[in-house]
Amino acid sequence: MRTSFLFSARPSRLLLLSSSTFLTFFTSLFPSTALADEHLFGWVLGSETLPAGHAEAYEFLTLQSGKAEGTYRALDTETELEYGFTDQFQASVALENNYFYNKGVNGPRDALNDTNVFRFGGVELSAKYRLLSPFKDPVGFALRLEGGYLPHDEVDGLKETEGYIAPQFILQKNYFDDTLIIDLNGGTEFAWGKRPAEQYPRELAFTGAAGISYRFAPNWYIGLENHVRAEYPLFHIGNFEHVVDYAGPAIHYATQRWWVTLSYNYQIFGNGIDEPASGQTFAEEVRHQIRLKIGFNF
Amino acid sequence: MKDWIPFVAIPLTISGATVPGFANTYLTVEQAQQTIFPGAAFTRVPRTLTPDQQKTIESRARVGVRSRDLKAWKVSNGGWFVVDQVLGKHEYITYAVGLTASGAVKQIEILDYRETYGYQVRDQSWRQQFVGKTAESPLNLDQDIRNISGATLSSRHITDGVRRLLVTYEVALR
Repeated sequence: MRTSFLFSARPSRLLLLSSSTFLTFFTSLFPSTALADEHLFGWVLGSETLPAGHAEAYEFLTLQSGKAEGTYRALDTETELEYGFTDQFQASVALENNYFYNKGVNGPRDALNDTNVFRFGGVELSAKYRLLSPFKDPVGFALRLEGGYLPHDEVDGLKETEGYIAPQFILQKNYFDDTLIIDLNGGTEFAWGKRPAEQYPRELAFTGAAGISYRFAPNWYIGLENHVRAEYPLFHIGNFEHVVDYAGPAIHYATQRWWVTLSYNYQIFGNGIDEPASGQTFAEEVRHQIRLKIGFNF
Repeated sequence: MKDWIPFVAIPLTISGATVPGFANTYLTVEQAQQTIFPGAAFTRVPRTLTPDQQKTIESRARVGVRSRDLKAWKVSNGGWFVVDQVLGKHEYITYAVGLTASGAVKQIEILDYRETYGYQVRDQSWRQQFVGKTAESPLNLDQDIRNISGATLSSRHITDGVRRLLVTYEVALR
């Protein structure tokens, strides 16, 4: 939630429309629904975990660009180390850094100051426990918990003292000898300390993601992914702030010791509480997202 | 457009700087033949499955046939030696199965394995479970074949592959 947005007494029709679109997609995946801890997608996660005693180092590079007006660039880097404590349980620690470039992003929808700065993004911890394996059980299933401390706002780097926790479930279904993989993620996020970067100190978010990827050649996967987020200030479901839905293609290449994933997502739908109903939201969101992930196995 | 540069340059740099593929070949076909059937002579038997045979195998083995061209050798002691491939997570896993004259598994050997994890499928104790299995055996993971935690995909695909080869023997080689 950014500055001076009005509250809505109830979720808008557009939110309901978006939610129903996601639910339709969600339900269309069942009973044949959602991968491996190798990241086939930019945003969607799979249910596999690292084998015990093995580690993986990641570097994520995410470019977010395009507001309603002006020039906006946010380049996020995330350096992560993940370790498998057992074959079913893994944990990771990540450091985030951000670069922001804003010029003329000061219209009625997304008033940001002109800036050109680097900011320390924060520290994130995550743990994932796999209950069912997609390779031998009817469906893969894992629970994941992420938490973090963010000293700067993720939209334009304003100072804040944010802490958050985000529980999540991950479903995965594999078909055709594990060459076609469908993933489904759902979760919530509770964040505190968002002032003064935002108007309200606490925020609840619902998140969902789904992806489908096909192994079209040895080492190569190509897929489509979709990720949705809806935010409610003050942990109150009646305080709808915005909902956004991104979708796009992802390509993944993996070999024995490293892998790389490139994904592009476009904002296909968005609605913000005090923004024109143009079908997109820009107060906290962007038009384009590009994510490059590189992982090294140890 | 400059924003795209790191997204293209980094993967290209990595892929250019990285030696493509670790060729983990543990045994050649000839070495596998002598490991499973020491001192025997081998005669290559060219055999291509008919569509009907493929359908029968897929139905009985409950797994798809990836290639209708068999890589099979008749062994001088009456047995068979078959080389096959199954999908690993990234690349193909190449393995060989030796069958006795009555169609039971004598031994299996892993020829190529290039995956990040799951090398335990090469362990003698795991491969030993297949000895004596026939086309009538269940060959199911977690039933008569123990899963290797942390190597589930490889365990399952090799188990599926051996089950398919045993049915293939009954349908097209015996």
